[in-house]
Amino acid sequence: MKCDDCVNLMETYLDGEATERESDQIQTHLATCSMCANKHEALTAENEMFARYDREVEVTPALWNGVAARIALEDRQAESKSKPGLGEWIAGWFAMPSFRFAAPTMALVLIALLIGLAYWRTKPQQPTHDNLIAHVDSPKPVTSSSPASTVKPSDQSITAPASAGTNTDSKEINSNVLAKYERPSRPNMVRSSDQSDVLPDTESNNGGTMEERDTASHLEQAQNLLLSFRNIKYSDTDEEVDVSYEKSESRRLLSENIMLRREAESSGKFPAKSVLGSLEPFLIDIANLPDKAKPTDVRQITDRVQRTEIVAELRSY
Amino acid sequence: MIFERYSRPVLSFIYDQIGDRDVAEELAQETFVRAYRSLKSLREETKLSTWLFGIAKNVARESIRSRVRDRHNVDLDDDQVLDLSDQSPVPVHQLLDKEFNQVVQRSLAKLDDDKRTVFTLKVLHQRSYEEIAEITGFSIPKLKTDLHRARAEMRQRVGRYIGTIGT
Repeated sequence: MKCDDCVNLMETYLDGEATERESDQIQTHLATCSMCANKHEALTAENEMFARYDREVEVTPALWNGVAARIALEDRQAESKSKPGLGEWIAGWFAMPSFRFAAPTMALVLIALLIGLAYWRTKPQQPTHDNLIAHVDSPKPVTSSSPASTVKPSDQSITAPASAGTNTDSKEINSNVLAKYERPSRPNMVRSSDQSDVLPDTESNNGGTMEERDTASHLEQAQNLLLSFRNIKYSDTDEEVDVSYEKSESRRLLSENIMLRREAESSGKFPAKSVLGSLEPFLIDIANLPDKAKPTDVRQITDRVQRTEIVAELRSY
Repeated sequence: MIFERYSRPVLSFIYDQIGDRDVAEELAQETFVRAYRSLKSLREETKLSTWLFGIAKNVARESIRSRVRDRHNVDLDDDQVLDLSDQSPVPVHQLLDKEFNQVVQRSLAKLDDDKRTVFTLKVLHQRSYEEIAEITGFSIPKLKTDLHRARAEMRQRVGRYIGTIGT
């Protein structure tokens, strides 16, 4: 065997992947060639060095808990999806709308609406001299004499029902509108889609990003969930407690929480990551309860909610 | 139990690809959840570990694609430890294992994805060529070429530590 052949096969040989014949040839060559023997020694030392590489990575119990929680969650979701019977399946066919032809029409209508809205919004922002005179001469003093006359049309559409002709501050009114969405009672807890209609307008004034608004909305819902869970009425003599609502809400929030936590982490928002990380175990625990939970299990979670002051942490974020 | 047996190698393999402990842990979770979901697709002739490493490789690749890697690479380029122009010997007393581990991790991050996957599977996880071909979908000649080049790159960056680690 020539040195070139030996060197070419050396790595394969050290990887234990050379054929028996190749191995024999290499061993014979190494016994007679000091240059190739040195190369062999250097590669062996290199392999030994990499064998000492220690990543210092530990398998924590949280890893398995996360896997178990996600598997349990997916199993339940799969169960609930597979439940619909034949009747519902047939009904679904009749109820299912087809947007094949309607979609272009809807798009046109939407574009027309957007253009109309844009026109409507921009028009009053350029008042003419005539318009100003008309306001002063108007027989309705409410709009001309109050500061509300400077409010943009979009704001008026919100404030009109609440103001009823008074000089109420628009911020105050906005908070009234928001108050409708805060702390809903347990059976009527409002979902994120409802809040997102209100929150972005108020938050965007504070300069928050879409991600921050999502997180804030998510944490508010989580806070409501934990309060709702904490306020479940039951006694120690009860055999089971109905937590089906909290459970389904928790499942939804859990997947949202994981997503937001990852986003916060990747964008370096560590306070958000930290608070979402503190929240996650509670969501997992509630999501994993059976629909009819034992009072002891419920109490255990409730006690942890109290002890860790997680609600206060969410509120302070 | 599959998790108990393979959690460490899978987590380590993902960490080798990603270089971030927290992200590696999340991706290891994702790997086991996907494995659970697709357990039925496991063919009898496939080794369980090969199958799991295949899933882990896909999960890690997806994550790498979705992450902004530019920032990471810029950090590495600025790293003094990896200055290749500095070929002076490193004093023995400074050769701490921790430093060595860091250098290996950073050098792995500088390899391109294919080379890193092949290198970690062969050198750090002692998988056979056949297993690596099954995990990665590469032909054996390609993986041998990638492995040879990856070794050369790693040697250039970490070679100064040969014979000094663990002594």
